[in-house]
Amino acid sequence: MARPRLLDLDRSSFRAVIGALAAIAFFFLVFPTLIVLLTSFTSTASLRFPPPGYSLRWYTALLDAHQMQQAALNSLKVAAAATALSVVLGTSGALAIGRSSARWAKILDSIFMSPLLLPALAFGFAALLYFSLIGVPLSLATLVLGHIAVCVPFVLRTTIASLSQLDPALLDASLSLGAGPLFTFRRVTLPLIGRGIAAGAFLAFMASFDNVPVSLFLTDARTEVLPIHLWQIIDTDLDVRTAAASGVLIFATVILMVAAERFAGLSKQLH
Amino acid sequence: MTAAPAAEHDPEKRAPVFEKIMLQQKVKARWRFVEKSSRFDAPEWRLLLPLGAFFVLFFAAPLVVLFLVSLSDGIALNGFTVAHYAKFLTDAFSLSILFDTVVLGIKATAVCLVFGLPLAWVCVHAHPRLRSLLVFLVILPILTSVVVRTFAWIVILGQQGILNKTFLSLGLIDHPLRLLFSEVGVVMVLAQVQMPLMVLPLITTLQRIDPNLADASRALGAGHWRTFRRVILPLWLPGLVAGSILVFAACTTAFVTQTLIGGARLVYMPLYIYQQATGANNWPFAAAMSVLLMISVLLVVYLLNLAGRARWAVRHG
Amino acid sequence: MSRRVGRREFLGAGVAAGALALLPRGAAAAEPLVVATFPGTWNEAHRDVLAPYFRKKTGADVIQTILLATDQVAKLEAARGKPPFDVAIMDEGPLLDAVKAGVLEKYPVDKSPNYKDLVPAFQDPWGPKISLQVIGIGFNPKKIKERPKSWNDLFNPVYKGRVGLTALNSTLGMAFMVDFAKTRGGSESDIEPAFKALKDLLPNVGAISANLGAHAALFQQEQIDIAPYNFNFVQTLKEKGVDIDFATLDTGIPAWRTSLHVVKNAVQPDLAVQYIDAHLAPEVQEGMERTPYWVIPTNGKVPLKGEIVKQVAKSQDDLAKLKYQDWPKINEHRSEWIERFNRDIKL
Repeated sequence: MARPRLLDLDRSSFRAVIGALAAIAFFFLVFPTLIVLLTSFTSTASLRFPPPGYSLRWYTALLDAHQMQQAALNSLKVAAAATALSVVLGTSGALAIGRSSARWAKILDSIFMSPLLLPALAFGFAALLYFSLIGVPLSLATLVLGHIAVCVPFVLRTTIASLSQLDPALLDASLSLGAGPLFTFRRVTLPLIGRGIAAGAFLAFMASFDNVPVSLFLTDARTEVLPIHLWQIIDTDLDVRTAAASGVLIFATVILMVAAERFAGLSKQLH
Repeated sequence: MTAAPAAEHDPEKRAPVFEKIMLQQKVKARWRFVEKSSRFDAPEWRLLLPLGAFFVLFFAAPLVVLFLVSLSDGIALNGFTVAHYAKFLTDAFSLSILFDTVVLGIKATAVCLVFGLPLAWVCVHAHPRLRSLLVFLVILPILTSVVVRTFAWIVILGQQGILNKTFLSLGLIDHPLRLLFSEVGVVMVLAQVQMPLMVLPLITTLQRIDPNLADASRALGAGHWRTFRRVILPLWLPGLVAGSILVFAACTTAFVTQTLIGGARLVYMPLYIYQQATGANNWPFAAAMSVLLMISVLLVVYLLNLAGRARWAVRHG
Repeated sequence: MSRRVGRREFLGAGVAAGALALLPRGAAAAEPLVVATFPGTWNEAHRDVLAPYFRKKTGADVIQTILLATDQVAKLEAARGKPPFDVAIMDEGPLLDAVKAGVLEKYPVDKSPNYKDLVPAFQDPWGPKISLQVIGIGFNPKKIKERPKSWNDLFNPVYKGRVGLTALNSTLGMAFMVDFAKTRGGSESDIEPAFKALKDLLPNVGAISANLGAHAALFQQEQIDIAPYNFNFVQTLKEKGVDIDFATLDTGIPAWRTSLHVVKNAVQPDLAVQYIDAHLAPEVQEGMERTPYWVIPTNGKVPLKGEIVKQVAKSQDDLAKLKYQDWPKINEHRSEWIERFNRDIKL
């Protein structure tokens, strides 16, 4: 009779500790976002939680925030371009190394994933130096190039994961039935890894839109992007408009994520 | 492999001799092509070229320039000097900043581990429907802007913020804690902001562990804790290492969080580099600092990798 | 097939919807002018008073970049061929650096009709002085009942952990240190007494802000209750409902002049001059002299009133009697003091 009780204590203590820690972790994961959302509806000009009163004034104030809108538009343009190019580069790269188990393929894989490991700030500064050295003035185009370097790893990762689940027999069958390699790619490979590419593209888009370390060095006032603009305002003003802008970003992210989940099975691609 | 025999043996599809030979040739040609593909030949190199060229031109080249500038006097690359490295490495103030940055990364990674392991465990062992929701919520923070998430913490951690108000009302403290502009605050916020980077690899690797192993262990009499420690954790190690590497790398370069929550008195490498690069226009010195930061991060990543592999080797002979 | 359509659809719809939703309302007549501005009262006053007036006059929008003067000089030096902004705003110290670095254009007085109305003390060939900034002690009247009178009040042990300071790369920080040094026997060439006293002050210090805007946030979030602060900023915060008031010093009111300049190789030099000229217009200066900005006017046609008269000076002549500091002397040691301060305050 003693044994089962010991096991019970062991089991319940295990579950209690794991459960408690997980609950705390979960709470802190979600809680700050909710705070920002609630604070953005404050009726006063200072950031207090809980807000003394509620109103939509800061959201309507966003309609007059021309500079913030311009920054958001720049971010969208850059993210779209960086994502499109990342998809092209990443997919072709994944096709080249994803199906091979050779040593060189693994080395290349680590090299192409390294932008995620190296401090992005150091890379951003390096990019600034590089463009200065070769005499290319900063513009949205150079920003896109900088972003691609840190966005491609996402596309690469998910596409390779997708490829690894692709049965090579399907490709062999298609080829030996007389289909050319291009046709095989278009009609067999692409549809099967499509969801992987889409998940990678989504992550790349968000990574570019949200990027700070590279944008910090490669943008200036004339090519301002949204995260830098928001950071500048928060660092200098603590304007409640930033809370409203954050609210808009949160809503937009949730909507895009739900779409990504429905159309590309995002969460399944990531674990 | 199946196509060649089928044509030969299927009487319905049997073609006249000439056409049969042509078909066999075609199939052999295709098969040689397929064989060639799997031995990485011309098509593979062609596919690799765009990404490879981009990496050389716009990733490797800038890093090379960074390194060269750190060894010279400016963008014109005149002269060779290690003065900038010497200036950093002989200055206690600068070294303390580098040290603080690495320690910050380690502390935040540790907090992420402590809270991330249970979170991943719950995500994997939860009811399937609940699981997709949980994973969705875990991914969501990583996709909201880091500026937004850090900004939320400014509101929460202030003297009048909700955390202090709650602790005060619960009677845990009698005057507000200094959480904002303190290292504790920075570690806390960093851990929360980077937590998804830890949890996702943990979930991935935990799912790959055969559940029968845990069941077997418990059937043999080991308790939950023992099973966790002796069976689960060692198998989970690759995921822990992967998550830790990602979180550590992200925390050391987390410019926005460090500056907004740390303030002017807590200086870490990213702010220091930024101040020297854009505030003082001291590009060579900033470049030297960037190189040193990269080396430090890579060193820790290498050590983490080693630790993971060593434990693995010990466990599995 | 349906998967492919779905994916393309959502990506395209997402980007298109985002782009449409965020297009700026109404296209501006001309390319927007990019200007630099200071944090806090300045960027708000420029955004809410100057930019609309400028837009009415020229049809052009304004894009602000919020930078301290020292950072502006650094950015202009780094990108001489194509400066990141066309109009610079400078305090006296950084202005000398900017002129020495050769990043500013001389101000074309003939293109600026409002220039002649400026009080002569505020006219300058490099760019007109658009206002004065005066500093004193900002304090929370709800927590601190007795009005502070001098810098020494900051050392009161009652304020342990409630004092705020700002880094020396902002003129507020530098002016504070210099003035404080002078009250303890130092001068513009030697602020050693201030650094010595800083060590004694640090236990009292609750937070040090990297710039003026962050300083406002400290008061707003009640992280600090007392700090050296600009007159304007205190007023702006007061109007926002923050518990703060301004106390003038017994030892005299330190002040410095702030000016606007056209940057060399500006992308739109004519618009830049028009922008600066607009700042000198009586309409704009009156608009900024009101609540919540209380920016001190420099146009002779605009009388002083309100809070300015109560706390700073009763007339334009009185403005000349404020404590101005010797910036050329300060500039000789500025970078060295900035670095020393950063090292001394590091936790």
